Amino acid sequence: MNNSFERLIDGMIEALRLEIIPATQGDYSRGQAFGVIFLLQSLKLRAGWSTTFLQEQLAALLDLQAALSKIDGMPRDAPVPLVSGHASTPQAMEQMRDAGDERVGALIDWLQTHRETLAPGVADAVDAATNAYIRRQLRYDIQTSAKPMFAALTLGKETT
Amino acid sequence: MAEDIDSLPERLTSYLERSLGRRVTVSRFKRYPAGFSWITVGFTLAPGIDGVTELILRLGPRNGLYAPYSAEPQYAAMAALHASLVPVPRVYFWSDDASILGDPFFIAEKLPGEAPIPWGDDDGIRHDQRAFLGVQFADALGDIHAAAWSASGLAKFAAGLTCENVAARELERWESNYRRWALRTYPMIHRVLAWLRANPPVAPRISIVHGDYRLGNFLEVDGLITAILDWELVHLGDPHEDLAWVCLPQYRGGSPLMSKLIGRDELYARHEAKTGRAVDPASMHFYTLFALLKLSLTHIAGVYAFERNGFHDLRLASIGTQIAPTLRQIEKLLEAGR
Repeated sequence: MNNSFERLIDGMIEALRLEIIPATQGDYSRGQAFGVIFLLQSLKLRAGWSTTFLQEQLAALLDLQAALSKIDGMPRDAPVPLVSGHASTPQAMEQMRDAGDERVGALIDWLQTHRETLAPGVADAVDAATNAYIRRQLRYDIQTSAKPMFAALTLGKETT
Repeated sequence: MAEDIDSLPERLTSYLERSLGRRVTVSRFKRYPAGFSWITVGFTLAPGIDGVTELILRLGPRNGLYAPYSAEPQYAAMAALHASLVPVPRVYFWSDDASILGDPFFIAEKLPGEAPIPWGDDDGIRHDQRAFLGVQFADALGDIHAAAWSASGLAKFAAGLTCENVAARELERWESNYRRWALRTYPMIHRVLAWLRANPPVAPRISIVHGDYRLGNFLEVDGLITAILDWELVHLGDPHEDLAWVCLPQYRGGSPLMSKLIGRDELYARHEAKTGRAVDPASMHFYTLFALLKLSLTHIAGVYAFERNGFHDLRLASIGTQIAPTLRQIEKLLEAGR
């Protein structure tokens, strides 16, 4: 998921209030829908993104940091990610993941303009390390995502 | 726009009366649920325009997926193609002045047909009609790319554009979209941008590029394509950009056919016959990566529109889940090309 937990909860409640409940027939069915709103509001107060998910992403960043630190000839001014690995809340972990990814993006941009000036083998080693990180990050994201339902989202009914 | 929907018939009537210089009645106002971006509204106009009474109003909402919008390129493209073999709706009015209906808009004739959708197992196309639809689909694309545009309203968008710089210009446009929409950094986007910047192809010609040419963006009746729709991403560019988009796995639903309609070799052959230009494999590789980048950024735009723009459609948050799978496809394609 790429939206914030809070916004998703709010969006689901808005969809229920504005689109689903007005089109729902029967007091009992509408009551059930209001029950969903109440439970979503309750979840918003106590739940958040899984720390397990964020821990894996931070672990991947730490491994990238370690791999980059072992590259001989890596310039000191290269924007390598700096991750402490210590964050106590999901929000702090998310911020740390985002800050790390910002540095990875900057490192890839930096490599494009410095590739020719680096010692032999350095650019390839940075490529290999960042590629391994990206692959691990994407695989984990896909593993922890639900199967898409675009036909149902478009048609308004489930198909085979 | 959503807040203004109740007052829309009145404002539309007022606008049409001013534009046509006569009294009109607008009725059977119907909002269509399809689409993630421009809002589509059907209505009946009496008396009609040149006998046409069933019309479509399309509005580009200020908080929509690719906002801010302009109706001008769509109008200019459809007007440029109106006399061609490409089936496009006739556009009667357009404006980017939000004071008229609340958002940029255009008004076009409503053409008959249904839009087959690319997702799921059943796209609604009859088995015996698929091959012929594929031929029409490929030929219409070739006709779009072969169409003359320099004397049309699209010419104003061609300033400084050359076959040599068109890839870099499109890349800059989407890179700027990335900076605008991304709520966090996606390292894979940086990697593919680096590759694309280093490998821009030279276009065989500057063509009208539909920008979202695929199954789902045309209407058909009994196996005949009646209209090519959804021109919101139209621009001048390299024809390979549309060809690569047609071939994306996302619009194949597991079928070996491009957009579930036509084999790759036949698509290329028909395109070459229509345009007189061979399809270049290196350009296709570039534009396939570029297409996947655009698709990733569209998903990122959905996340942005939902999170920050107050766009409440849950489908936008849902398409955000497709960022990682699309970036993974880019990663595999880059690895295969190493």
